[in-house]
Formats: sequence, structure tokens, C-alpha cells
Amino acid sequence: MSDKLEQELKKALRRVEPPASFAERVLARAAEEEKPGAPLRPWPQWLGMGGLRWAAASALCAALATSGLVYHHERQKQGEEAKEQLMLALRITSSKLQIAAEGVQQMNSPEENQP
Amino acid sequence: MNEIGGVMKRIGTIVALLLATQLTAFAQDWDPGGTLKKLSTRASKTVDVTLDRSMLQFASGFLDAKDPDQARARKVIADMKGIYVHSFEFDKSGEYTEQDVAAIRDQLKGPEWSRIVNVRSKSEGQNVQVYFRKEGEKFKGLVVIATEPTEFTFVDLVGPITPEDLRALGGQFGIPKVEMDQNSAGKKGESK
Repeated sequence: MSDKLEQELKKALRRVEPPASFAERVLARAAEEEKPGAPLRPWPQWLGMGGLRWAAASALCAALATSGLVYHHERQKQGEEAKEQLMLALRITSSKLQIAAEGVQQMNSPEENQP
Repeated sequence: MNEIGGVMKRIGTIVALLLATQLTAFAQDWDPGGTLKKLSTRASKTVDVTLDRSMLQFASGFLDAKDPDQARARKVIADMKGIYVHSFEFDKSGEYTEQDVAAIRDQLKGPEWSRIVNVRSKSEGQNVQVYFRKEGEKFKGLVVIATEPTEFTFVDLVGPITPEDLRALGGQFGIPKVEMDQNSAGKKGESK
């Protein structure tokens, strides 16, 4: 019984030689994949590289947009400050010219010129 | 030969002295900075506005054309080269002297300067003097020196000023208007 089983196992696991063209076909396939113009690698790896490029471009755009917004905000703030300064300067000038104008007006008024 | 050398040396010295005198005169032509700095150290409240041409243009871009005051401001500063306002408030009178004011006033005695208005109010102790800088027939600047017992204000507007600008400045920007006599802007007046 055991001899029969042993014989069957030996028969099943015996070394089988590959067909004669097997080695040539494997070498031809490998050479084809190493060619420069060969088609891109299959799906997962190709998508991984593209995703990274898109992520880098998006980050750059976001950084540029943020710095642009910050610059615009700062410029707006400086402009508003300059405007306030200008209006303050003109208000002060106006108030002093007003005093001068009132003085001149009083000098020219008939009551003031009466003896 | 030695005599010629001596004469040349003397001429050189005279030219150098004349140049130095001219340069000194030019430097002192308009420099109230020293006096203003001195006053600022004694003041309890200081307003300093320094707007050169580039800053005026920058500020002009932020003025709202729909606001009447801001629209007027834009018109007034259109050709201005600079606006400098220094105002000091003091805790008590006597913090600055007549000599301090005279130091600034004395710099406005050149031929290009004309004092147009000198208003003195003895009761309130107010004194306002308005000077114009003339180049030929054109007004190229305006200086206002206003003093009160506890306040000193110095205004220097650099650039062409038209009578319209003056009228726009007098009694605008939130300040009630008193009609300025058009002729008073062209003649020297004094009210005591």
C-alpha cells in the first residue's frame, strides 16, 4: 500500500523539462520591456507619479495665491493709513486757513473798520 | 611766476568762499527741522504727517471719488510734491518761545516768499501767518505757521497752489466754511 503511494508521488513530482522555445520566449519578452519606447508601466505606478505632480502644482498655486492675498491686504492697509494721514493733514491745514480767513473777514467787515 | 601763483591762489580761495556761502545759504533756505525737533521734545501731543510725492500718489489711489471731501482732496493734491504737517500741543504755555517761532519765520524771508496773511487775536492768543512761495507768477508752495499759547502748528505744502485749491482748503474737510475773499489771497493782509 505504502509502496504504491510512494510510486505515485514520485511519478507526480518527477522533473518535467520545459518546451524547447520557453527560454527564448522569456528572453524576448524581457528585452521588449527594457526598450526606451516601450509602453508605460501598468496603472498603479503611473497614477502614483501623476498624483505627486498634481499635488506639488496645487501646493505651489496655493502658496502663490496666499502670498498674493497677504501682499494685497498689506498694500490696502498701507494705502488706508496714507489716506488717513493725508486727510488729517488737510483737516489741520484747513482749520488754520479758516482762522486766517475769519481774521481777514473781520478786518474787512464794516463794524471792525468803524472808529 | 610766484606772483601769478599767489593771485591764482587768492582767486581760488575767493571762489571757494563764495561757493561755500552759496551752499550754506541754499542749505539754510528752508530747513525748519531743527526747531521742530526741539519743539517735539517738549510737546505733550505731537502730530507729524510727512507725505512726499510718491506717498501722495499712493494715498490718492485710495481716495473715494464719491466722498466730497476725498474728491476735493484728490483735486488739491493732484500736482503737489509734498505735504508736511507738524502740530504740537503743550501742557502749559511758555513751552516754546517767540525765538523758536522766529527761527522758522526767518527762513521765509527770501525773495521767493511772500507773507499773504498775518492774523493775530490778542484775546485768544492766536496767531496765524500764511506764506506763499512764488516762482515768477506762479505759486509753488504754501506755508502756514499757527501759534496759540499751548499749541504750535506748522504746515508746508510743496507744489503749485491755485486760488481754487486755497478756497477748497479753507473751510472744507469737515470744517465749516467761511468764504475766503478771492482778493485776499493775492494781497498782503494783517489783522490785529
